[in-house]
Amino acid sequence: MTDFEEPLSDEEKVRIAANFVTHAPPGEFNEVFNDVRLLLNNDNLLREGAAHAFAQYNMDQFTPVKLDGSEESVLITEHGDLGQGRYFDPRKRVSFRFDHLRKEASDPQPYEGETALRSWRDACDEALSAYVKEHYPTGVCTVYGKTVDGQQTIIACVEGHQFQPKNFWNGRCRSEWKFTISQSSAQVVGVLKIQVHYYEDGNVQLVSHKEVEESIGVTNETLTAKEFVKIIENAENDYQTAISENYQTMSDTTFKALRRQLPVTRTKIDWNKILSYKIAASCFSNFSFMLVQWAITSFNTPSGFRHAGPSS
Amino acid sequence: VRVIVRVCACDCVRVIVCVPSLCEDLLSSVDQPLKIARDKVVGKDYLLCDYNRDGDSYRCSTEYRDLYFEGGVSSVYLWDLDHGFAGVILIKKAGDGSKKIKGCWDSIHVVEVQVRAGAPLPVQTGINNVNCFYLPNLGNMDMENKIRSTLNEIYFGKTKDIVNGLRSVQMLADKSKQEALKNDLMQVLSQRSKQQS
Repeated sequence: MTDFEEPLSDEEKVRIAANFVTHAPPGEFNEVFNDVRLLLNNDNLLREGAAHAFAQYNMDQFTPVKLDGSEESVLITEHGDLGQGRYFDPRKRVSFRFDHLRKEASDPQPYEGETALRSWRDACDEALSAYVKEHYPTGVCTVYGKTVDGQQTIIACVEGHQFQPKNFWNGRCRSEWKFTISQSSAQVVGVLKIQVHYYEDGNVQLVSHKEVEESIGVTNETLTAKEFVKIIENAENDYQTAISENYQTMSDTTFKALRRQLPVTRTKIDWNKILSYKIAASCFSNFSFMLVQWAITSFNTPSGFRHAGPSS
Repeated sequence: VRVIVRVCACDCVRVIVCVPSLCEDLLSSVDQPLKIARDKVVGKDYLLCDYNRDGDSYRCSTEYRDLYFEGGVSSVYLWDLDHGFAGVILIKKAGDGSKKIKGCWDSIHVVEVQVRAGAPLPVQTGINNVNCFYLPNLGNMDMENKIRSTLNEIYFGKTKDIVNGLRSVQMLADKSKQEALKNDLMQVLSQRSKQQS
């Protein structure tokens, strides 16, 4: 067991604090941050030592942000990270400064991105946006066209969340889809993630992820974009359906394997019966003991039948 | 579906090493997953918790455990109070780990029995176990069933609803058309029933 006597170094403490922050459920970053701030009791240490954690959290979560004067949001992801706290929006072709604690964008500048991939990026973005509107009540998507490891790649990120802390719940789903356009046939690789936290008089989290791989024909921008989005739609529908079915399975089997709702007899335990069985059992053992005692004593005395049971 | 319970034990330790002064408070108010230890003398498993760090161990009524849990490990620890006694009943059941399913049910029931002055005490009448007297009362406080039902219906049901609120398998436009049609139908039906009455 850990020795709690030895004090931890500042470095180790802030590492633990950062770890708590990166694991905050969606929509609860501020709460976790404030709690951790109280525990650590050293704002400078927290700000300097955990700044990377705040950035990492927002990028992992695909945090959406609106640029000033825009109706649409852009996602904060590793693919849009320009360093020095700046990110870019490939649809609007701007870069901006992002404050990870306030979750605000500022100082927009033009940013062209990779022009060679622009037509493919735009086609995929248009098709994907239509799909997101059809299936996500509050969804946002951001599509990048980038050269990764020498390969021209399309990267699509989708995010949808609902935060209702007043009703003690928060939830977010994210998915990331990639494929390369350098050859006539490619693999679409996708990751889907869901996290839900419900904490009204209790604490339950659903954390789930799934990896998907499908082949795709790379022809022209419009047709390929259409096929890309079809793959995404099918996979995400299948995943959501599977989760719903899983709940039924979990209720019928796993949960039951841990604790049944009713005993195998299909009736609740009758505690009075158990008590009387126990009494009967111990009475019986006592009774047989008494019988033996009586038998012994009766054989030893002339009149036999005289002695009673335990003195009560 | 992966439950986050396993993170709790490490988290507790992590908070304590950062803020040692919270150690006592944390350990007494945060329930850790129950640990199993082996009684080598009797050759049986028993459960560890805050209450049995010192004192006697006592094996619980296995009827209840076996009927509801079909296995598992249970332990009961009792201690005297000024006017009665208190105890903790621990049950731990792990899933059998088959079919890629992992799970664990831990229960910690803390009970306090107050014996009022003047009340008739159960007399030792040759029944081995005096505590059997209290058994029906304790057993009928069936919180576990309530919690299990609540978990099944409310907690799991609610998280499923939240997932389906984040994304819709059916296209949202179709969904709202369906809603509109349903509302129209209901209006027509209610008008008709008004006319008939």
